[in-house]
Amino acid sequence: MLNIENVEVIYSDVILVLKGVSLNVPAGKIISLLGANGAGKTTTLKAISGLLHTELGQVTDGSITFDGKPIHKLGPEEIVRKGIVQVLEGRPTFEQLTTEENLLVGASSLKDKSNIKSDLDRIYGYFPRLKELRKRISGYLSGGEKQMQVIGRALMAHPQLMLLDEPSLGLSPLMVDQIFEIIETINVNEKTSMLLVEQNAMVALSISHHGFVMENGRIVMEDTSVSLMQNEDIKEFYLGLSSGGARKNYRDVKHYRRRKRWLA
Amino acid sequence: MVDFMQFAINGILVGGLYALVGVSIVLVFKATQVVSLAHGQLLAFGALFFWIFLDQLNFPVWVALLGTISLAALMGFITERFTIRPLIGESLFTAFLMTFSVFMFLDGFFQLYLSGQSRAYSPFLPEGTFNLSGVIISKGLLSSFTIAMLIFAALFAFFKFTRTGLQMRATSENHILAQSAGIGVKKVFTLIWIISSAVVAIGGIACANVMDIHYPLPYIGIKGLIVAMFGGLESIGGALLAGILLGLIENLSSGYLDGPLGGGVKDAAAYVILLLILIVKPYGLFGLKKIERI
Repeated sequence: MLNIENVEVIYSDVILVLKGVSLNVPAGKIISLLGANGAGKTTTLKAISGLLHTELGQVTDGSITFDGKPIHKLGPEEIVRKGIVQVLEGRPTFEQLTTEENLLVGASSLKDKSNIKSDLDRIYGYFPRLKELRKRISGYLSGGEKQMQVIGRALMAHPQLMLLDEPSLGLSPLMVDQIFEIIETINVNEKTSMLLVEQNAMVALSISHHGFVMENGRIVMEDTSVSLMQNEDIKEFYLGLSSGGARKNYRDVKHYRRRKRWLA
Repeated sequence: MVDFMQFAINGILVGGLYALVGVSIVLVFKATQVVSLAHGQLLAFGALFFWIFLDQLNFPVWVALLGTISLAALMGFITERFTIRPLIGESLFTAFLMTFSVFMFLDGFFQLYLSGQSRAYSPFLPEGTFNLSGVIISKGLLSSFTIAMLIFAALFAFFKFTRTGLQMRATSENHILAQSAGIGVKKVFTLIWIISSAVVAIGGIACANVMDIHYPLPYIGIKGLIVAMFGGLESIGGALLAGILLGLIENLSSGYLDGPLGGGVKDAAAYVILLLILIVKPYGLFGLKKIERI
């Protein structure tokens, strides 16, 4: 459905951030995008959603196509209208607006206003807590509540593809589980594809079908989530697991060499 | 006591007009974060257009009003498109200076057209006065005050209950977030300039009806700026209250002090207020409180 071919992104005409990234998101699937800080994950999402333009970033090479049509020249609001909504990192809300108003803003891209009432009920179905907070000014919500609201706001636009940027950031493990459970439910119920950027690789891989690993502006590895979880490198760098707690000889591991292999 | 009531009521009625001018500046600031000086000229030209329609072309009042609003909206549109939009992404101070140069540019044309003379509308609002237990109230001023309050009510309703109004409020808070929610931010900017220009033009007509069209008319825009800052640049309700307060202060101070001081207190009072606000409450009475959870 979404196809990224060899995309190169340059900020302020000088800083090369993405050096030829290719990935694809098939319809109805959840795809994880993992990587260290500064690998270019968020930039990839912004390149897709068109928000790059507002940050002096530019797609200078390659192409991003959605359902076969190129979208990397479009403005962010047009891309939302095409069915791609980004849930920004740090769950920013419209703080002076109430929860319900926030959700209504999410429906801005819809031409047809007749279903908005039932859309609201649908969101409250996923997030009963939001219904209790309907009239509350969003600035006073807790982190988890904001995350629910932000996902709810994105859902109001009836996206075919949601770009989720670190939904687990700064949430308690319990809340993380809850949020990811809902993300999975949404994926199943609404057939919404997801491109999920996460530091919490364990949770991300556990709900996604396929995963990509980024490093230094390139995709260095790609596989199904199940095999990624089995992969020794992933286990070590992202899941923090080593073979059965055995004593480790760092000379044997030579992880810098493995990283080099990735970069080649 | 009758004196006091007289000054106070006149102050409130005039204050309503100031509030209207102030709110137009607030609207633009809310959406675009640009403080506009250009509104003084949009106000003056609104007043002038109405005079041309009403007294030169002899159109009926409502045609003249509609014509003025459309022309003012067009001016707002052009101002936004050709002076503000190219500056999106530049520093806000640049945009502020741009509105100042728009003010000076239009001021040339305005003064040229007037060539030092003063123009007055032929009466189109109820004339005369009535007496409310000793306090004399001008019917013209009362009607323009009523119109101003109706516009305020319309603005409140617009922002509270309509989809576009909600999108504007969202945009005023966070441009990037608004874009990611599918709002056409540039479209919102244009629309807000159009609405704001129409509002300030109506304010201009109301002011010109009280003070005639002559050279200082554009400087009512500065009063609007004072109102906007006094109320807190982001609050429509704040502009309403601040406008009325400014009118009150002006009229009371000039009523009581003009005699002993020999006149001119009115305008001085406005600027003293502005100074005091900037010192004591830099964000104004109802400036947006940034919500921060600790």
